Amino acid sequence: MSDEQVRRALQMLAVADRDQAAPPAVEERLKLAFRRQRKILVWKRTAIWTVAAAAAIVGIAVLRDAKPKQYAAPVISHLQPPAPGQSVVKPPEVQHVVVSNAPKRPRAPRVQPQAPREVVTEFFPLVDYAPPFERGELVRMRVPASTMRAVGLPVREDRLTDPVQADVLVGQEGMARAIRFVSYSQSNRTGSVLERGE
Amino acid sequence: MLVETVQTSGQLGANDQELIGRMLAGDEDAFTTLYRRRQAPVYRFALQMTGNVVVAEDVTQEVFMALLEHARRFDPQRGTVASFLYGIARNLVLRRLEKDRHTDSDEGLDDFPDDVDVLADLTRQETVEQVRRAVLSLPTTYREVVVLCDLQDASYEDAAAALDCPVGTVRSRLNRGRTMLAQKLAGSAPPKKTLGMKVLRIGA
Repeated sequence: MSDEQVRRALQMLAVADRDQAAPPAVEERLKLAFRRQRKILVWKRTAIWTVAAAAAIVGIAVLRDAKPKQYAAPVISHLQPPAPGQSVVKPPEVQHVVVSNAPKRPRAPRVQPQAPREVVTEFFPLVDYAPPFERGELVRMRVPASTMRAVGLPVREDRLTDPVQADVLVGQEGMARAIRFVSYSQSNRTGSVLERGE
Repeated sequence: MLVETVQTSGQLGANDQELIGRMLAGDEDAFTTLYRRRQAPVYRFALQMTGNVVVAEDVTQEVFMALLEHARRFDPQRGTVASFLYGIARNLVLRRLEKDRHTDSDEGLDDFPDDVDVLADLTRQETVEQVRRAVLSLPTTYREVVVLCDLQDASYEDAAAALDCPVGTVRSRLNRGRTMLAQKLAGSAPPKKTLGMKVLRIGA
């Protein structure tokens, strides 16, 4: 069988299948998936802009409050060796005084209120492409819980507006680059808004 | 490269790459247009690779779901949108074929009767089905090239991008695939060979 005959046979098959296509139900399912994904995208963008705006405001406030540091001028002392015959005042000798011989009572251990231990998540990037990171600031702020959902963390639907603590990494150009969320081991503020597993 | 009728009038002039850009910006019409333009080739590729309409439907859906999730991975430097979609479809199809290894068997190829004049007996549809079975019986390495280049009319460059191999490899695999197909259609025995030629004259 020649190559030409094979081509013709394949052409017949191609022509026979010319009108084959996926059923309309596939298109409908994909449209639904597209809308669902777009909704998530809108949430994400809103949260990112909220965080970025908040970070920018905080950054500006921090920069305004920052005062240039005053460095004290170095003190230069000119000490001369005493001249011959000049009286030199000696410093008084230190006397050791025993206050008491009574045995010391052991001190009761001071009970300090235990500060809640801070637990932080990993950093989630807020921008896809950013200039190389040189220096930046970590700004702690309160953001809506929807921000957590925007970076992929599960948040219950009824807690989306709850405030949560977050550290926003602001780069040298003032751009919010990454975010991490803060919770406390005693009062798990961040965890309280997380969606429970099904 | 395949160019199909665009059904969404608003995006008529946009090329595939522009549609992906708009799709990423949240434009549903752009996605619909791209889907309508590219779904049939993807569906046919999956159908001709597997011979199964249910799998073809699943693969088509999964290809465009993957596009929704990973459209940013499309790199126009590496190939066209069509080849990008074929590449995804190919990976999905290979995964399916791995599950159902029996599709690589030579079943159905001995259906050619060798003692009658098939020219009178076989209808065009039967011939088409025999060619389809012959294509399905090719090893996947050769089948995917034959399906892409001969059935889907994809360019060698698009096929190479979809299969992630050099154009030269596409050419050599296509040549080898056609040779194997000719042998399968004609049959190894001399009577079958003669018969295969007669069958092909139906479509000539």
